[in-house]
Amino acid sequence: MSDATADESTTHTPRSGWEEVTTQLRRNSTSRWGMYIVLFIIVVAIWAFVDGVVLDYYFAERFWYSPITAPPGSRGLLPPVGITNEYGTGTWAHPLGTDHRGRDILVRLVYGSRIAIQIGIVATGVGATLGTIIGAVSGYYGGWIDDVLQRTVETFYAIPFIVLMIAIMSAFGRGLWIAIVGVSVITTPIFARLIRSEVLSVREEEYIEAAKAAGVRDRNIIRRHVIPNSLAPVLVQATLQIGVNILIVAALSFLGFGAQPPTPSWGAMLAQSRTYMLPDPWFSVWPGLAILVTVVGFNLVGDGLRDAFDPRLND
Amino acid sequence: MSLPRYVARRLGQSVFTLLGVVTITFLLVNAAPGDPVRIFIGPSADASAIAAMRAQFGLDQPIHIRYIKYLMNVVQGDLGQSINYRVPVTQKILERLPATLLLVASSFTFAIITAVPIGVLSAQRRNQLSDHVFRIFGLIGVSTPSFWIGLLLIIILTYHLGLLPATGLVMPWAPPSAVDHATTRLDVLYQSGIHLIMPTLTLGTLQMAAIMRIERSSMLEVLNQEYVSLARAFGVSERTILRKHAFRNAQLPVLTVIGLNLTTALGGSVLTETVFSINGIGTLIITGVNARDYPLVLGTTLFYASLFVIGVLITDILYAYLDPRISYGDES
Repeated sequence: MSDATADESTTHTPRSGWEEVTTQLRRNSTSRWGMYIVLFIIVVAIWAFVDGVVLDYYFAERFWYSPITAPPGSRGLLPPVGITNEYGTGTWAHPLGTDHRGRDILVRLVYGSRIAIQIGIVATGVGATLGTIIGAVSGYYGGWIDDVLQRTVETFYAIPFIVLMIAIMSAFGRGLWIAIVGVSVITTPIFARLIRSEVLSVREEEYIEAAKAAGVRDRNIIRRHVIPNSLAPVLVQATLQIGVNILIVAALSFLGFGAQPPTPSWGAMLAQSRTYMLPDPWFSVWPGLAILVTVVGFNLVGDGLRDAFDPRLND
Repeated sequence: MSLPRYVARRLGQSVFTLLGVVTITFLLVNAAPGDPVRIFIGPSADASAIAAMRAQFGLDQPIHIRYIKYLMNVVQGDLGQSINYRVPVTQKILERLPATLLLVASSFTFAIITAVPIGVLSAQRRNQLSDHVFRIFGLIGVSTPSFWIGLLLIIILTYHLGLLPATGLVMPWAPPSAVDHATTRLDVLYQSGIHLIMPTLTLGTLQMAAIMRIERSSMLEVLNQEYVSLARAFGVSERTILRKHAFRNAQLPVLTVIGLNLTTALGGSVLTETVFSINGIGTLIITGVNARDYPLVLGTTLFYASLFVIGVLITDILYAYLDPRISYGDES
């Protein structure tokens, strides 16, 4: 494979770093699968968003959301296709079965993807951007600015994410947007620390010295030279962090701190399923699988990106 | 900088970090809407009772006075009175501490003793079938919500196979009379063991997968170094290279990851304790939040942070001790 790459770069016009990375990503079969998964989940999430926000649940209600009438006081759980419980055998009308209120689980999974992706991508994006700026400033200037920022970062690091999120959400309320703000806050220090260490090494490069000697202002040096040259690890970390943040949000929803019912979220579905684990274990299986597959997707892409940026360990 | 000076400096930084933790959590908890006293005595209580209780917990004073008072008390090891339990927060934490420590210690032990050999093996057999299997396992391990693993374990091992109990923990040092189905010390140990298996797997899988992944890549990194090629060129056996040259040098990044994973594990204990209804510090903090018991929330958060800070301090010192190349923290 390395031979082929060498051939191409000599016979064709040289490719930019980004083209190199995307080519590497496409070649690596596992990260290709990761990209398929991520794209699929994002499309599903966008679809849920459009249907939910723009079309006011037109499709969800018309085609999928057909609650069975559960006898009062009983569980409303219809089993998935191929499984039988006292309500009957699962049908293709509800391929994954229904939950305790007779709501189609597949529909709820689809709408749950919106929450997961929204928090995962928005919060990681905000956190990565803020962290990059803070870390770059901190690493570039050093001195007391660096000390103050580093101690602040360490403080946030010291409190377990879940505990910090619980504290934030108990202070400001439970819900989607507070979760997004909270996850952004806990994501920021990770990137601040990461980019700072990158900047510390970039700072010593000769081209920075040259830029300084040429009288380029600090702000422009940071923006034009320092940040772009430290960006590769940020991109890798951001992709992996989306997965981590989806897990954190699921955990918070599981504990009852995430998006509040009736908004479907995967973690909350798992919490609801706890009551029915004995008679209807499949109810606990689906949301967990959804989380697992989504996070695996982002991790595969992240791992692939890392290999693409750092070809030494390529397989 | 000498090692003792480095330790002193890191200690100073840790105190700073803890001060930051107190400040952040204090501000957060005090920004919370809802009057803890009202929630505690209920909406029907009369004004004088509420005023009396406010005075009792010092809630009638302005926020900066409360902050300074809280700091002074924390320095003296007093985390205040729990509003909900009406006992000192420290007492409540110490009461719940053994369960959490047992859980975290056992899952860390499980994670390290399984992940390190598997990671080494995986690197050694790079791209062979076993490596692929281990890597897939590692990927799934870091991608699975721990509480879901807990739920699945309960469904399979408790509900379907009836093998293991699904709730609570038994301390191995508990008196036999206090433990169900136990008459001797051996019974207690047995009960403790079977109660610990599922929570350990639940909390430990993520740590195990994370350590395994870093162990593998760290080993590969070292095996790519020139001195390893040199050793190979000199005909040193692959076994000796692995044992004497590669393994030791590969452990530094692993150590860092283990240290940082301590905070994930402590956070994860909240979830694991919830899934298995364990009376630990994790469930204590959830109770505190739901009851707006702010001294309890502050105290447990601070306690969690201290455990983490101590853990990282120990790994940092170990790191400096193990790697003579590190100039202790001049560029921290």
